[in-house]
Amino acid sequence: MLIVSPRMAAVTQEKQYTPSLLSFFVYNPSFGPREGEEEKKILFYHPSEVEKNEKIRNVGLCEAIVQFTRTFCPTKPAKSLHTQKNRQFFFEAEDSYWIVMIVKNPMVEKPNKDGKPPTIEYQEEEVLDTVYGAVLRQCYSMYKLFNGTFGRAMEAGGVELLIPKLEKFFYRYLQTLHLQSCDLLDVFGGISFFPLDKMTYLKIQSFVNRVEENLRLVKYTAFLYNDQLIWSGLEQDDMRILYKYLTTSLFPRHSEPELAGRDSALRPEVSGNLLHYGRFLTGPANLKDPDAKFRFPRIFVHTEDGSEELHLIVYKAMSAAVCFMISASVELTREFCERLDALVGPQLTLLASDICEQFTLNRRISGPDKEPQFKFIYFNHMNLAEKSTIHMRKTASVSLTSVHPDLMKILGDINCDFARVDEDEEVIVKAMTDYWVVGKKSDQRELYVILNQKNANLIEVNEEVKRLCATQFNNIFFLD
Amino acid sequence: MEGDVRNKARASWDMGSLPPVECLRIERSDSPTPDLVEGTEPGAGQQAAMFVHSRSVEDLPAEADEDAESRVEPQPVADGDPGSSETFGTSENGLQVEENIIEVAQAPKESSWAESRTKEEDICSDGWRSHRKHVFVLSEAGKPIYSRYGTEEALSSTMGVMMALVSFVEADKNIIRSIHADGYNVVFLSKSPLVLVAVSQTRQSDKEMIRELQYIYYQIVSLLTLTQLNHIFQAKKNYDLRRLLAGSEHLIDNLLRRLDRDPGLLLSAVTCLPLASSSRDAVSASLQAAKAPSLVFSILMKDQYLHHMDLHLVFNLVCSSSSSFREGEGWTPICLPKFNSAGFFHAHISYLEPASELCLILVSTDREEFFSLSDCKQRFLERLRKRNAYQALKEAVKTPSYSVDLVGIPELRHFLYKSKSSGLFTSPELPGVYQSEEGQERLMGLYQELHSRLHHSTRPLLSIYRCGETENFMAWLTSGFELYLCLTPLVTKMQAVSAVNKLLKWIRKEEDRLFILSPLTY
Repeated sequence: MLIVSPRMAAVTQEKQYTPSLLSFFVYNPSFGPREGEEEKKILFYHPSEVEKNEKIRNVGLCEAIVQFTRTFCPTKPAKSLHTQKNRQFFFEAEDSYWIVMIVKNPMVEKPNKDGKPPTIEYQEEEVLDTVYGAVLRQCYSMYKLFNGTFGRAMEAGGVELLIPKLEKFFYRYLQTLHLQSCDLLDVFGGISFFPLDKMTYLKIQSFVNRVEENLRLVKYTAFLYNDQLIWSGLEQDDMRILYKYLTTSLFPRHSEPELAGRDSALRPEVSGNLLHYGRFLTGPANLKDPDAKFRFPRIFVHTEDGSEELHLIVYKAMSAAVCFMISASVELTREFCERLDALVGPQLTLLASDICEQFTLNRRISGPDKEPQFKFIYFNHMNLAEKSTIHMRKTASVSLTSVHPDLMKILGDINCDFARVDEDEEVIVKAMTDYWVVGKKSDQRELYVILNQKNANLIEVNEEVKRLCATQFNNIFFLD
Repeated sequence: MEGDVRNKARASWDMGSLPPVECLRIERSDSPTPDLVEGTEPGAGQQAAMFVHSRSVEDLPAEADEDAESRVEPQPVADGDPGSSETFGTSENGLQVEENIIEVAQAPKESSWAESRTKEEDICSDGWRSHRKHVFVLSEAGKPIYSRYGTEEALSSTMGVMMALVSFVEADKNIIRSIHADGYNVVFLSKSPLVLVAVSQTRQSDKEMIRELQYIYYQIVSLLTLTQLNHIFQAKKNYDLRRLLAGSEHLIDNLLRRLDRDPGLLLSAVTCLPLASSSRDAVSASLQAAKAPSLVFSILMKDQYLHHMDLHLVFNLVCSSSSSFREGEGWTPICLPKFNSAGFFHAHISYLEPASELCLILVSTDREEFFSLSDCKQRFLERLRKRNAYQALKEAVKTPSYSVDLVGIPELRHFLYKSKSSGLFTSPELPGVYQSEEGQERLMGLYQELHSRLHHSTRPLLSIYRCGETENFMAWLTSGFELYLCLTPLVTKMQAVSAVNKLLKWIRKEEDRLFILSPLTY
């Protein structure tokens, strides 16, 4: 029997720290150009309890780095700073408005004997610039989706308006950043599309047309099933960030009450109507509630001459979710919502079960066993379509992957190499863990495959990937 | 250093009868302070260039114990490679010789300095900004020491900012590593009392850039010794080190050029002259027989126990000033920082014959030993001739490299093969597509990229196959070797795999000639 004394355990125990957020701030150098006014530059600083001079110092360093790099290229200033303990990411979101995110490098704490302080080893190669640079840009896109640009707030009410807006948004948003599980998918920021047969697709399209016909106020519509997109009337970039919000924030917060059963307290609003499973995910939780508020989140989307502000109504029935976007200048009333609920509820319920049926039917034909054993990520830059069999489930808190984090980073490295040359390329590497990783870039598409075939050789690996391409992407040409 | 080379060269050529050792002594006592001496590089006449050379840094007043210093007993450096410490004993009479034979340091085709100092550039111009790789060296006081492009004066405020960034981050008990932007990186290396910074548009990783900066750092150490360097800055924090390095910038310039082109520096390996093993044995036996008491190393090729970094520094010295060594016998102090960063060795550098491509480097511990090493060279030459090895050597020098066609794989354009046990590598001539300066640097860039992926510090790879529009690459790391193949773009993976096998077979067959399999030691 092995008895480990607590002391022994303490000596041998290493503590591993994952990358985490050290600070996040927004500044504009032109707001405090004179000495002594530096504090005015700072529009937002997280964590807020940092002492004032410390904030000014850190902002000063960022300014100095950016200025310094302009010596070497006036138009392309620094994007990141690597230090032993952390990484800093710089992003000029709007003219002179800089957002900076500082990520602590992962580290290992090794206890020492005799009461000496533990040795800390920083793992400096573990944070990928492309991944966290993308996360930072996403932070801004998300802010912009709900608040419009910084410039807009400044025009409307100066720093007195901008600062509280920034605080209100980022205070909550930063808590949802899970830096330890960011990976290649954040770089792509893609949209997962739901595979569908033509017939069902047409049904959905005609549903959208019908609703837009009947509810004239609706300006844009987006249709999702199973957290995957089927139809969208929005611009690609707007849809990309809205999709991110829906799938990582809104949907996970409203876990399936359908599964809870009809009589469950979770869905008191549907009483006795088997054909109507619809409910609002934004706006009123219960239409019957006399005190229900008909306020919806506002979002900003691109238009030809800037942006427009819209109400975002998200309505869901079973696994089907529809976003209706209506100009913010219109006030939404109880009558409108009831009309929408009455019109959309039954139709969407029916459609959702149709899709579900079709989906299971297709699965049965192709057979779940025929699902290839490949672990891959696919992304198409043209339509932002992404597909991953590596990520088991993407939730608000964690994206679980089925492979070792180091392999994910190798994918990131390959992606980085691809991004530097505008050429079609293929890379096949064998990692020390005896995994094969294949990266292919063709035109605007990228495909990454991980194979666990220790004894395979290059030619066999190549054959495997060919087989995958034939079954999954038979109409896409990849450089051989 | 440079000054010494010159003095000796003159001593033996111009003032024949005057014993050079005396000459040196006199000068030394005359100038107890660091001083600048103007001199003309012998053999640089055609370039009509005047060079300012610093007097030997040994003359620095800080170095009180001059005698002791001049007779540096080579001590194994604490962090040096184990090979050197175990093979290098210290003995009273200084007879520690341990040697073996190596590479013919070929006279470089690239003429070094005169063309290279494109200094007077406007640092706000696009031309200056568009350089592929800038390198700056500054002191911890922020004083400029070296800049690859543009004058140090014009860059003094930029270098001041660099130092400010370094200290600012340091104040947080943190260390600045690099800055990344679209299309270029800035990499910092703090090596007290120096700070080195590279700004690079290449696709090299930070790690590779740090390695290059380390080379530059050691180049400076090899001119001054670390002990000197520390002394100088301890005594005077804002000392202008350019006073001591003046005239030696071309060594750094040249080293940087080699870093961009010579795969040896990438692979931490050197290449040896392809030679039949019998001839090689004869040459090494001759060298061995010609040893002198204070001789430490003789490099006609390369020495196993000398750290590759030091070896490259010696080569750089020879290659950077080939014309001067060609016409006389060079005698120069050199610090081999990986071996012993505290003191100088003294290198006797000479070409076997003025017109020959063969350069003999003898490294001694004693600066008074010029004549004995010169004898040593003569004895070596005689023996070489007697054994008929000289002819074989001369023949081999005529064809120092080989064409990739020799391997007989049509898809193969170029390759690098490093044998890990010997620290030697072999590589054919560059094919037509990569012969331009641009092409050569592009190919090296691609090799560098593969190298940094294979040797990633936390995610190393065993092999890489990369298929692109202009060429295909294969890189393979095993316990015994490291191999990089550059193949034609349309090659199939099947062909690539068979090319690797054929190449390995060919290398095994030629192993005797390409590598030194059984190095001799005294």
